[in-house]
Amino acid sequence: MMDRRTFLHTLGLLTGGSALSACTPGKDRRHLVSALVPPEDGVVPGQSVWHATTCTECPAGCGMQVRLREGRPVKAEGVPGHPVSGGGLCVRGQASLWRLYDPRRLRGPQVRDGGALRAATWDDALSRVASALAEARGAGRTGAYLSGRTTGALAALLAESAPALGLEWLPRFEPFSHAAIRRANGLLFGAPEVPRLDAARPDVLLTVGADLLETFVSPVGLAAQVVAGPAGRRWWHAEPHCSLTGANADRRLVLRAGSEPWLLAWLLARVAPSARRPLPPAVVAAMPRPSIAATAEATGVAVDALEALGAALAAAKEPLVVAGAIATAAEGGLAVAGLAALLQWTLGATGRTVDLARGEGYGDVGSLLDLRALGERLERGQVGVLFVARANPVRHAPAAWRLAGKLAGATLRVGLGDLMDETLREMDVVLPLSHPLETWEELAPRRGLRELLRPAAAPLGDTRAEGDVLLELRRRAGETVAPSYQERLMAGWRARYDDAALRAYSAAGWAEEPVSGPPVGLDAGAAAELLRGVRLSPPKPGLVLVLAPSIRSFDGRSRALQLLEEVPDPLTTVTYGPWISVAPGDARRLGVADGDELRVTLGGWSAELPAKLQPGLAEGVFVVQRDVLPSFPGGMDPATGEAICALPGPGLERTGRGGRMPYLSGSPSQQGRGLIPEPIHRKETAKRASLYPEHPHPEHRWTMAIDVSRCIGCGACAASCYVENDVPVTGAREHRLGREMSWLRIEPFYDAAGGVDFLPILCQQCHAAPCEPVCPVYAAYHNPEGLNVQVYNRCIGTRYCSNNCPYKVRRFNWFDPVREAPLDLLHNPDLSARGRGIMEKCTFCVQRITAARDRAKDEGRAVRDGEVVPACAQSCPTTAIVFGDLNDAGSRIAALVKAPGSWRVFEELGTEPSVHYHRGGGEGER
Amino acid sequence: MTGTRVGSEVERDVLGAIRRPGWRWLLGLAVSGLLAVLLHVLWGALIVRGLGLTGLNNPVGWAVLITNFVFWVGIAHSGTLISAVLFLFRARFRTSFNRSAEAMTVFAILVAGMFPLIHLGRVWVFYFLLPYPIERLIWPNFRSPLPWDVFAVTTYLIVSVVFFYVGMIPDLALARRHLPGLRGRIYAVLSLGWQGTGEQWRHYARLYLFLAAFATPLVASVHSIVSWDFAVSIVPGWHTTIFAPYFVAGAILSGTAMVLTLSIPMRRWLGLEAHMPIDHYEGIAKILLFTSLLVGYTYVVEQGLSLYGPSPFERDQYAFRAFGPYRGLFWLMVVCNAILPLTLFLRRARRSLPWLFVLGILVNVGMWTERFVLIVASLSHDFDPYAWGTYSPTRYEIGITAGSFGLFFLFFLLFSRLLPVIAITESKQALADRAGEEGTP
Repeated sequence: MMDRRTFLHTLGLLTGGSALSACTPGKDRRHLVSALVPPEDGVVPGQSVWHATTCTECPAGCGMQVRLREGRPVKAEGVPGHPVSGGGLCVRGQASLWRLYDPRRLRGPQVRDGGALRAATWDDALSRVASALAEARGAGRTGAYLSGRTTGALAALLAESAPALGLEWLPRFEPFSHAAIRRANGLLFGAPEVPRLDAARPDVLLTVGADLLETFVSPVGLAAQVVAGPAGRRWWHAEPHCSLTGANADRRLVLRAGSEPWLLAWLLARVAPSARRPLPPAVVAAMPRPSIAATAEATGVAVDALEALGAALAAAKEPLVVAGAIATAAEGGLAVAGLAALLQWTLGATGRTVDLARGEGYGDVGSLLDLRALGERLERGQVGVLFVARANPVRHAPAAWRLAGKLAGATLRVGLGDLMDETLREMDVVLPLSHPLETWEELAPRRGLRELLRPAAAPLGDTRAEGDVLLELRRRAGETVAPSYQERLMAGWRARYDDAALRAYSAAGWAEEPVSGPPVGLDAGAAAELLRGVRLSPPKPGLVLVLAPSIRSFDGRSRALQLLEEVPDPLTTVTYGPWISVAPGDARRLGVADGDELRVTLGGWSAELPAKLQPGLAEGVFVVQRDVLPSFPGGMDPATGEAICALPGPGLERTGRGGRMPYLSGSPSQQGRGLIPEPIHRKETAKRASLYPEHPHPEHRWTMAIDVSRCIGCGACAASCYVENDVPVTGAREHRLGREMSWLRIEPFYDAAGGVDFLPILCQQCHAAPCEPVCPVYAAYHNPEGLNVQVYNRCIGTRYCSNNCPYKVRRFNWFDPVREAPLDLLHNPDLSARGRGIMEKCTFCVQRITAARDRAKDEGRAVRDGEVVPACAQSCPTTAIVFGDLNDAGSRIAALVKAPGSWRVFEELGTEPSVHYHRGGGEGER
Repeated sequence: MTGTRVGSEVERDVLGAIRRPGWRWLLGLAVSGLLAVLLHVLWGALIVRGLGLTGLNNPVGWAVLITNFVFWVGIAHSGTLISAVLFLFRARFRTSFNRSAEAMTVFAILVAGMFPLIHLGRVWVFYFLLPYPIERLIWPNFRSPLPWDVFAVTTYLIVSVVFFYVGMIPDLALARRHLPGLRGRIYAVLSLGWQGTGEQWRHYARLYLFLAAFATPLVASVHSIVSWDFAVSIVPGWHTTIFAPYFVAGAILSGTAMVLTLSIPMRRWLGLEAHMPIDHYEGIAKILLFTSLLVGYTYVVEQGLSLYGPSPFERDQYAFRAFGPYRGLFWLMVVCNAILPLTLFLRRARRSLPWLFVLGILVNVGMWTERFVLIVASLSHDFDPYAWGTYSPTRYEIGITAGSFGLFFLFFLLFSRLLPVIAITESKQALADRAGEEGTP
């Protein structure tokens, strides 16, 4: 006999069970996970699995852990304690999931048929390639394999496969090749390498052009190191334009473009006599010795600023000078890199904070010189089958080379990639590569480090791993090879590791190996030779166009990912589309305002770009992020093969067009409103009397502390929030209307001198929240844990809460949020869905709070300090965000909130926010 | 002249108007009908696609739709003022206008009531605003001014309709007598068996007086509550204690202006010149002048307090209104509402119907603009400079605004042909009183 209660239980179980198994959109979707039988690796519906892997959005190789739900990756985060990143994940790393699900990803092979690419089968495409390879071999024509930087297992496979297929594996093509640095280190120390830097130790740091926080070699790790510098550390950054790195330095020196050799030559002469490691006499004799007056004249830096810098470097215990990026991407880049390397040597940094033995492993990367040589060979008809893999040389080669046309010189052009780009468009056969989250792979992003990539999802399209393509081509050429790339990798691991080591490697996602290298020594002859070649010529007067790297898309490879356009550029807050940054003085002279279009001409090259005023930019300097340009207008430095990125004499004229431009900041200045208060403005505000009873917080009171001095404005937190919370991505049109949906934004506020402070603003979860009393239906209410909860199902969309929010962090769904398939698979199933007409906002990642509370309850304990980490805090490369329970007296947050100098934004309004800001005051820790 | 006119002329002229639809009326009906249809089509689009079709954005969550709400509630005000307050004060010039003013009130409040619904993100759950019984025991949040609005506007609508209808009963009985056939029978039902006996008149007069007394406080309360939608918030430019009297004065100003805008053409086209004398217009003009002075005073006080007060946010807000991107509208509102009405200090201007008509339209433009500037400028320039942003309306909002005028005029045109537009019995009474005073038989 069944009683009522058992009947209801049974009914509920049956209904729930059948509903759960029916919860699959689409008729013929392949089931990765059975709802009933948990597979071996423990994938249970409703439970997350974290997968350690490696980010591949740039060559740095940061550790990434991916959260899987029901067999789909739904969130990427940094791996705590990772040797490359230190634990954060940048804005591009966050977007790597976007790449996985990008609707524009190549879904299957394409072959050229009568002028146009058409879809083909793998067999069709590969047999075309195989027959072309056989034909070329018959005709005695060697093919060429041009790829982006390739390390680890794939590099080994390529080194072995290229000759087997009759191909020459060309030096790797990277737009940010650091060729000048490698060349200088090769000449001076016999080590043509990009050194591994330790930016955490120096007490005096000078970076010349090198954008440590944005794109330079390993930006996440370097950013973490830079903010962890010793107390009292002074950081100078010298550059002609205005970069995020410069904005974060203690002092930004604005150099005339091309005057970097002056600065470094003067510094070398200034510090060499008293330096820790004296230079050989031959080197000293060859050293150029510009006077301070001439240096100040040439660089545009004031004499006292130069003196202060020279004195600081000379007196420093642990000085470090780094030159690179924009500073070496110019004529004379070799001199800049060489002078910097000599400064590193003589200041004692080489071997300590500049590690050439454990370098970044750029030895086999080529430069534009190699690309030019390829172009010449193609023109002469000496190339058989040309492969281009994971690289876009057409976009990055100087436009004047007309590389796209020269590609026709190959007998067959085969492209491997994931998104259609300028190069793939020129190919005869396009082979779609699987996403790094769909394949097995092993990288070695720097010497002595192996990193594991393993599939987190079945391939969404008909794509393959590059390794499998190579093996298949060799198989078709009659060779006996491993059955698959995965088998090959596994065999390699079994040979290298025992079971325990393999398990540890698999769990961590990385393994370090000892690297031995003899200490490097300075070749005095070569150094003297290099110094004699330094030409100190006065920089050319006139306008300069600087092609700057972009934190959002690196060299442009992440440009196609919409999430990275939705998240604003940190300095200008521009989201969609290209723009040209114009100094306020130049804007007055040209008569342009934000959004007015300028035609930029350089020789035969021209582009039309809307202008955006950039406070802090020197007059006469115009900045375009190089990733947004359809072709590269600069040339090449023949000495190093670096692309020239500071271009003199651009023509600029108004086209007369213009209009609303998608940028998010309503004002570049804080208008004296003290959002980031000066200490003198800080005053105690008395607690206000209220008619209403206090909100009790019996168990938890969730609170956040943000260290403004650690925030570098990189936007990783915002991107992380987009992915974690399914924040709608609205597009350029909506942004122009001012309808971005970001729950978290970083507000750049410029001071009169052009300095900038970054203020992350998210819902402040006020204790006396203005949004709550005005909601007519209690959709906004205060929960017992101190959160301003927004009940989506109750919201009727009056928008009164948003009007009344002084922080303007509430976001209204103007339309139904739609994500084009398969991007709709990228969603967090722990959240309530939102539709049109509903207000939403930051929840302090309430789903993570709930998960931690449940876990603690299951284990019969209290929630531990640091157990709840919101998505923003997790991703922050510089650990600027600390989250915790204010009721827990021993927690880090309780200490940070009480720290002197901690403030809350608009405290005078009596809103009592739960987000506290401070400058320093607590060591970041993960 | 007027003294010799007999009551039956009033009856004939007023009720005659009901019977003569001309081409102007039909054209007006067609145009306003089409606009009313447009309003509903556009609203439908907003419901189906989302409020993104409007120009609203992140800082500016309220704009034209709420402007229209405040504007139409304001228009609704002078109906009650002219009917109830002037009745209690025994202002004789009231008789020419009270019927049309009451009609205007009812129609304006019907139109106004649509706007809070149109601007809801999810209008299909509008009933969350009502205190209905629900097993989860969730009621509206009575700390929010929006439920206050619901009650204030609903109360006002009910009282206005009752007042309008009760005042019309004797006239409906007259119409029943004059019109044969079906229409006569409808008027017969509507007149609730009115016989005009002394007993009925005695009760009627009591009831009317009571309703007038009941409606009078609503003149102050409704727009005060509407003003609290803004004043209760902390938005600079909204958060000020002067808002309630300011809004009431503004409402009466705009309502009076609308009475002029409507009644001057009506007087001409329905041939009611004899029954709506210039003297009465002069009385209305004086109300307009008085409220305009009040409104002008609040403009000065608002700006002055922001300069004098300690809040930099307030100071910046008022500077933004006067010199920011909305400055054109700001100065338009100052000229229309506070400067042009000063011409009414001249007796000639007060008695010039063309000027009063033009001024009525200009004041309405000015009052609409005032609400727009108040709402939009405050939101677009509040605390966090990063979040500042401007707003401009889209075709949808312009169409809905035009449609709301269409709906209002549709109602009014139908009223002008279906119901007696002047209170006949009251006019007769007034004539009789005057005749008695002048000693004419």
